[in-house]
Amino acid sequence: MITIDGSSGEGGGQVLRTAIGLSLVTGEKCVVENVRAGRKKPGLQRQHLTAVLAAAEVGDARVEGAELGSSRVAFVPKAVRAGDYTFAIGTAGSTTLVLQTVLPALLSASGPSTVSLEGGTHNPMAPPYDFLAETFAPLLHRMGAGLALQLHRHGFYPAGGGRVSASIAPAAWTPLELLERRDAPEVRARIVVARIPPRVAPREASMLRSRLGLRNDEIVIDEVESAGPGNVVILRLQLGEVTEVITQLGERGVLAETVASRAAAEAIRLLAANVPVGEHLADQLLIPMALAGGGAFRTVAPSEHTRTNAAVIERFLPVAIAFHEDGQDGAWRVEVRAR
Amino acid sequence: MATTRGHTVISFLGAQLDRPRGNDRWDHWRPNVAMCQHEDLLIGRLVLLTERRFGRLFEEVAADIRAVSPETTVERRDLPLRDPWDFEEVFDKLFQFSRELRLDPERDDALVHMTTGTHVAQICLYLLTETRRFPARLLQTGPPTGKGPSRGTWQIIDLDLSRFDRIAQRFAEEQQEGQSLLKSGIDTRNASFNELITQVERVAPASAAPILLMGPTGAGKSQLARRIFELKRQRHLITGPFVEVNCATIRGDAAHSTLFGHERGAFTGALQRRPGLLRAADKGLLFLDEIGELGLDEQAMLLRALEEKRFLPLGSDKEAQSDFQLVAGTNRDLGRAVARGAFREDLLARINLWTFRLPGLRDRIEDLEPNVDFELEQFSARAGRRVHFNAEARAAYLQFATAGTGLWRGNFRDLNASITRLCTLASGGRITEKDVDGELGRLQADWRRDDDDPAPGADDDALLSGLLGGRLAQVDRFDRVQLAEVVRTCRRHRSLSAAGRELFAASRARKSSSNDTDRLRKYLSRFDLDWSKVSRA
Repeated sequence: MITIDGSSGEGGGQVLRTAIGLSLVTGEKCVVENVRAGRKKPGLQRQHLTAVLAAAEVGDARVEGAELGSSRVAFVPKAVRAGDYTFAIGTAGSTTLVLQTVLPALLSASGPSTVSLEGGTHNPMAPPYDFLAETFAPLLHRMGAGLALQLHRHGFYPAGGGRVSASIAPAAWTPLELLERRDAPEVRARIVVARIPPRVAPREASMLRSRLGLRNDEIVIDEVESAGPGNVVILRLQLGEVTEVITQLGERGVLAETVASRAAAEAIRLLAANVPVGEHLADQLLIPMALAGGGAFRTVAPSEHTRTNAAVIERFLPVAIAFHEDGQDGAWRVEVRAR
Repeated sequence: MATTRGHTVISFLGAQLDRPRGNDRWDHWRPNVAMCQHEDLLIGRLVLLTERRFGRLFEEVAADIRAVSPETTVERRDLPLRDPWDFEEVFDKLFQFSRELRLDPERDDALVHMTTGTHVAQICLYLLTETRRFPARLLQTGPPTGKGPSRGTWQIIDLDLSRFDRIAQRFAEEQQEGQSLLKSGIDTRNASFNELITQVERVAPASAAPILLMGPTGAGKSQLARRIFELKRQRHLITGPFVEVNCATIRGDAAHSTLFGHERGAFTGALQRRPGLLRAADKGLLFLDEIGELGLDEQAMLLRALEEKRFLPLGSDKEAQSDFQLVAGTNRDLGRAVARGAFREDLLARINLWTFRLPGLRDRIEDLEPNVDFELEQFSARAGRRVHFNAEARAAYLQFATAGTGLWRGNFRDLNASITRLCTLASGGRITEKDVDGELGRLQADWRRDDDDPAPGADDDALLSGLLGGRLAQVDRFDRVQLAEVVRTCRRHRSLSAAGRELFAASRARKSSSNDTDRLRKYLSRFDLDWSKVSRA
């Protein structure tokens, strides 16, 4: 049995999701204590509870402490079952975080699966759908795993109502290295709007033009159907082997120009860093590389979030994850090696 | 205790607050949608109370709730109200609904949402929750403040107030204050006395029923009655005055008019209308000390006043009304008085609901010292000068007072008198050993005198005064003893001759007297009494 201190490192919901996700993969029972202990509202919130219950369904697991506010979750998986799953997430919570929780297990299962998810598709503090579809899924494919995603409907906070489906094929893992990137990356923008005043998107486009020097034909404005209002600025950065996706959500009370400007600033930072892997992708690559038994990538300085995630992974899988600075320009090299 | 299943919430569909439509409805705070949007509140079942005419609104709200909270099952309950501001109708319908709903307090972990519905509906929901018709806690939601998220705030309120630390503490403090008040602020140490005070503190504010204080003379019945009055007044339970009378002082004819009043001209000398003490005590507290001394007629009238809050003043053909809290005091065993025929059994039953036995001073001798300090302070406050013992004098006094030598026949009354004497005689505000010596001599002499005169004959006097009234004063002690025994014997028998046979049994055996009945009749007539007067009880 593996006991994880949920308050260690970054100490958020990710510790819990990684732990039960890998508990499913390894069949090892796990206990997460002090769940989100340092947060303003500690313990399990509804989105975490949904993720725990989804994982329990996939792995036919017995769970103790699956209650709102619970600070200790004991997770005892029986057997992962490939199949068709549907999960609905409340409070317009992130569909991608729930998918991320069950994905490693379904990639390791004996047959193909489909997962249908309802809730938010573009949430703050969670990987947006476009990132999973355009950045993450192609890389998984290169590692020998099959993940095909489809967005049926956008879901934004607070109305939610988004729908995503995923087809998952069991992986034949091969290690992957992402060390190089091309010199003159290509940048494209997509502005998604739903049920909001028509002037928002053009203002965002105008800001992207001036900050990133994009031409009009490099910016697409998409008006989509959604249960409630929503707006997201999506930047695709062709870095060579990797397509990075940067997103910025429109918010009530925040100027359209500010939203676009924040997205542009993040893109400019990543472009200047001269590495193929951005902060968020670094986080996402650790589990598949660990499952593949090895891998390496060059990235920006790892976040607390990434380091915490690595520490949890090392508890479950026979790998060592090393972080070291690489050269003078602030780049880091992350290496996943079999132990 | 919210489990995976989540709470069951009962809530009115907000005809106004849940109303906003269109794309910008998500910018508005809609209480029933918003309560399903909290990451830290899981609602498994939402029972929405509505009406047919709000069917469309219900469908829209329910659809939005399903989108933001797939964990929630929304149920519609139509509650047709002719007038949602009519208290009786709303209460009745909600009461009916609460019975149909059959909440399970364990499984449902139910919450009653207080934020939507008319004020009348909110009051009714509150009342039904407080009385556990809805075995639930209250859910209060609030709109977002400033730039906060549009789901606003929520709060669960448990009406079991003892769960709130600050409120529980306030209750405990109030109780403490109440007990301290009942003890006149004296820090008493006797466990059984303190227990008695705890009970009185609980009973007095909670009950308007009569209270009976038993205990020897001077045990503090009168003080406690006054303290009960002050406690009830402090808690706004009574508004009238404190009225006190010792029944031993109002025997005979005067008793009725003193207690129940009389009309002008009700009897010779009744020049003025007199309202009587019962009417004076209206909405207040009436302390009847030595209630065992009350005549049988007055007892009957008092019983009626207690049961119906009505009584007949002397010479009046109209009943008077008064609503008072009765506290009765007695130093005698009223049960024995009932057996003897001196006290009405039904009245005793009526006043015997809350009976507290005050121990005498000797039975709570550990409280003597704090009471000495209390008496010193009382004297100092009255006299305007501080008086205290010097150390040796205090030790000597306490030694004598708490050892077997301190008989304290008159209990706290003796103590009060003793300290008053010491303080009065103390020169320069200091009580010396010499002062104490003198006082101890006085106390011993007092208690010896009591020994010489053990039976003041109070029982006899009480019995006879009911028959003779003021004429009792002209009867010698010598005759009283005999007459009292004769009266008691008469009351045990159904006829004069039967009583005579018992009283003159010895003479009868010697055949020295033939007519017991005549002999008894003649004896009684000496006191202006006859069978009908004596046997009445």
